Formats: sequence, C-alpha cells, structure tokens
Amino acid sequence: MWLILRRASFSVFALFIISFLLFLLTNVVPGSPASAVLDVDASLEEILSWEREHNLHLPVTEQYWIWLCQTLSGDLGESFITDRDLATEIKDTLPITLEWVSLGFGLAIIVGIPLGVASALNPNSWIDHIARVVAMTGISVPDYWIALMLISFVSVGLGWFPPGGHTPLSAGIIPHIKSLVLPVITLSLHYTAVFSRYTRSSMLDVLSQDYIRTARAMGLGRIRIWIYALKNSLPPVINVGAMSFGFSFGHALFIEHVFGIAGLSLSLLNAINELDYPMIQLNVLIVTIIFILANLSADCLNFLINPRLRRQT
Amino acid sequence: MKKNKNYLISEKFTKRHIFLTDFLSALANTKTGLFGAFVVLLMFFLAIFAPWIAPYDPTLIDVPNRLQPPNLSHWMGTDLAGRDVLSRLMWGARPSLQVGVLAVLIGMPGGIVIGLIAGFYRGSLLETILMRATEIIAAVPLLIVAVAIVGILGVNPIDLGFFTITNEIKIVFVLGILYIPGLARVVFAVASTEAVSDYIRARKTQGVRDFSLIFGDVLPNCLSVVTVWATLLTAGGVLAEAGLSFVGLGVQPPDASWGVMLSEARKFIFSGEWWLLFFPGLAISITVIGFNLFGDALRDILDPRHYTGPRID
Repeated sequence: MWLILRRASFSVFALFIISFLLFLLTNVVPGSPASAVLDVDASLEEILSWEREHNLHLPVTEQYWIWLCQTLSGDLGESFITDRDLATEIKDTLPITLEWVSLGFGLAIIVGIPLGVASALNPNSWIDHIARVVAMTGISVPDYWIALMLISFVSVGLGWFPPGGHTPLSAGIIPHIKSLVLPVITLSLHYTAVFSRYTRSSMLDVLSQDYIRTARAMGLGRIRIWIYALKNSLPPVINVGAMSFGFSFGHALFIEHVFGIAGLSLSLLNAINELDYPMIQLNVLIVTIIFILANLSADCLNFLINPRLRRQT
Repeated sequence: MKKNKNYLISEKFTKRHIFLTDFLSALANTKTGLFGAFVVLLMFFLAIFAPWIAPYDPTLIDVPNRLQPPNLSHWMGTDLAGRDVLSRLMWGARPSLQVGVLAVLIGMPGGIVIGLIAGFYRGSLLETILMRATEIIAAVPLLIVAVAIVGILGVNPIDLGFFTITNEIKIVFVLGILYIPGLARVVFAVASTEAVSDYIRARKTQGVRDFSLIFGDVLPNCLSVVTVWATLLTAGGVLAEAGLSFVGLGVQPPDASWGVMLSEARKFIFSGEWWLLFFPGLAISITVIGFNLFGDALRDILDPRHYTGPRID
C-alpha cells in the first residue's frame, strides 16, 4: 500500500513540475501571444494593456503562482482567443474524446489479449502468423492514413458510415453509434497490435519458466496451466496498457483531426494553431492527469493480482 | 602453425570479421529481418539520391497535366498542381529519414550517459535524482508533448543571424530530448546489473577509476540494446515527422514530405483520386515496417533477453 501512496505523491509532484515547464515554455517563445490575438495594426499600448490584463507582464514564477492558485480553487481561466470559460470548453470536449477513445481501447483489449495468448500457445501456427502480421502493421501504419482509407472506401465507397463528425447521443442512438464506428476501429487497430505483441512476448516468457515445466511434469491439466501462465504474464501487459491509454490521446489528435470530431485532442490542435496558451496548458495537463491516473490504477491492479508485490510492502 | 601466428597478429581484426559474418548470416536466416534491412537500405538510397533518380522536379507545377491517374509517364500519377507524385515521394524520403536519424543521434548521448551513471551508482542520491527526472519527462505522452512544443515554438524558421533554425531542426531536437528518458531507463537496466557483476568488482580492486569503468567496461555491454532501440526509435521519428507534417506542424508546403502529401490528399477523398492518398501512406507504412522488422531482427540476434522495445507514441 505504501508503494502506491508513494507513487501517487510522486505523480502529484510530477504534475507541478510539468505544469511549470509548460509555463516556462510559453514564456521563452519570442513574440507575444498578443500579436496572434489582436489585430495586426494594434498599437503598442493596446498590446501592453492586453498583456497586463492577462498578467503576462509579470515574471514567470509569479504568473505560475497566480495560475496555480486559481486552478486549485477551481477557476480554470479563460481562453485567449474566444474568451470562453475553459471549464465549459473542457466539459464539452472531454466526454466526447473519453467516450470514443475508451471504446476503441476496450475493443483493442478484447481482441488483442486473446490474440496474443493464442499466438503464444501455438507458436508458428497460422494464428501466430496472423497475430504477428496484425501486430507489425498495427504499430507501423500511421492511423491517420488508416482513417483516410476507411473514409474513402467504407464511407464514400460503400456509404455505410458517415465520413466524419460526431453525432451526439441526443440525436438518436443509431446515428450516434454510426458516427463512432470508424474512429473506434481506427484506434483499436493500433492498440490491438500493441496488446497482442506484448501479451505474446510476456506469455512466451512465462511459458518457458521452470515452474510451468514442473507443473506440466506433475500432470496438471493443460487449461489450468494456461490460466496460471496467463495470470503471471498479465502484469507487464497491464503496465503497458495503462501507458498506452495515456498515449492514445496522442493518436486521438490525428484521428479527431481526420474525422473532424470536436473532442479534447482536436481542441488542443486548434489551440496550438491559434497560440491559445491557457487552452494548450490545460489540455496537456488533463491528458497528463489521465495518463498518471491510468498508471496508478495499473499499479493497484497489479497489486491485486500479484501476491509478491503485496508481501514486499 | 603459420596460420595460427597470423591469427594472433590480426586477432582484433579477425574477431570483428567473425562477428560481422556471424551477424550477417544470422540476419540472412530471418526472412523478415532481411526484408527490413532491404527496405531500410532502399529508403536511404532514395533519400540520398533523390535529386538524380527522381524523374521530375518535385515542385515543378504543370497545370495542364494535373490530377492524372498513374500512367506510363507518371507512374504514380500527378497531383492538383500537376506535380509528379513519384518524384515527390522520393524527395519526401529525405525529411523523414533526416528527422528519424538525427533525433536518435541527439537523444542517444544524453540517454546513454544518464543511464550509465545512474546504473553504475545505483542506490546513491545521484541515481535517485537522475531517474526521477527521467520519470517526470516520461509522465507525459510523447506525441502530445511534441505537438504542443512544436506548436508553441511556431513553424516559422527562427533566424539567429549566423544560423537559421528550420522547423525540421526544431522537431529533431524536441524528439531527441523526448527520447532521452526511455533510452536512459533501458541503459540503466543493463548498467545496474553489470555494475554489481564480479568482473567490475575485480576491476575496481585493481584500482581502475570509475570513469574508465563506466565508459570502458559497462558501456560496451549496453551497446547492443542501444543499437536495437536506435533502430526502433528511427521508425518512431519517421512516424512523428509524417504525423506533424500531416497536421501542418512539420515540413511546410510546397516542400515534399509524405505527411504534407497526405494532408493535401485529404481534399480528394470524395472525388476519387485514390493515388494521391494511397502512395504516400504506403511509403510511410513500408518504411516504418522496414525499420521495425530490422530492429526486431537485431534484437533477436544481439539482445534476446530484452523482449520489449521502445514506445514511440
């Protein structure tokens, strides 16, 4: 238990450092964001007053302190560009991304882990070859290309699904699901590859251990040995899976861009193009928090399955 | 007898020679590794010799011949401005490989030195500080950070007077720095087991200084895992460059880059100019698959103990 608490406190510390680094970065960039926001012919006074309004004239550490106090008290601030409240902006975008990313990720777990197990249990069989081809293409082929190909063949060619956009649940459940199918498939292709690759190598590793040989020699049933082996090969897969869940928001950036889904990742990309610093900072921070939470829950899960970890602490 | 003497004299050379032939024959035994090596060599060949072998000028606008499907004079067709797709693909290999290779070269020294020192002085305060620092950088998804940093720095070249920092150089540095934590951790894993081995203790009692122990004895033992990682990270760099260019943060049009070509092809999804979409994506995929297969084969030959490679998303 101490282990997890220690990890958690370190994560909080890491969050402070990362948010400060982001602040620093936006400050070392030559040129004021005012030039991106205000008109080209804005006078020097206008720029200065705009900077003062957004506290940009203060030193970095002071700006960071103000931002930190505001954020911790629940006030996420406003966008430079739209002047909209960032909290409402996030409330609109985060659920959309969370929904389709989780669906795609869940699909990848359901397909990828059994595929990896099957290929580890039958090395060099046809299913092993299929799994390895899927794994290699899945990690190598860029997902925005897969997305574009799916749109051009499945939506435009066959007309099965809409080519882009996100239909909210309020517009009916069938159109909502239809708008999710292609992005979910695109994302899950990549992570199916990741899961089957790591499950396969971890399972092969466990199967070659002495205790499995002993269990076999003692005449334990095949299925039972498989279950034991799977249980022991899961911890590294869980760790990789948790990291992958955080990374999937990076992939979501490209997929949302292609499909035009107005989610968190797309709003990050737009904020970058518009130099909307508060928006960039908040979005990166949210993704980081999700990433850290995923890693922490992986630690907890491993703690539950792996008795060795429990005894250590 | 004479032969034996020769062997002794040229021992060093012969050892290397044996290693190289062993390596090549091991590589030739894996079909996929051989294919990967072939693809890697082919892409480097295309990137280096693009100006001489490309049939057309990649930026030559030829409006009368625009949007031609693949034919005898334009093997992969032409784009909206009548530019030859094949020539642009050949030139597009340049930024991809430049970013892929240079980013690894930038990240490697930092990652190796941090990993070596932390591993050698395992348990000391130095190790704690170094490894915690890498953990903090590793706590954010790589792609998101790369996109955010490049976006904040802006895509315009920064003119320093004596030197112009192009956007490509920025990407190379950002990726290179983001590679450091992963490399440091994998080097740390090897170095920390080597540091407590008997031969290192023996060398210590002989009075060999730490510096020469770290770089003379421990470093060579880390090189195989570093080689494998370097190959796989190059694949990651190729993907990252294409992705950044695809969302407009990498190579800027009209220069040829696979990501730029794909993002231009997006406009033609609905009108059926499939060659604009198909070939650039294929080029990225084949290149990345080639590097990954080559890297996997290298790992099987050089370093079969470590199953997992780097995460590049």
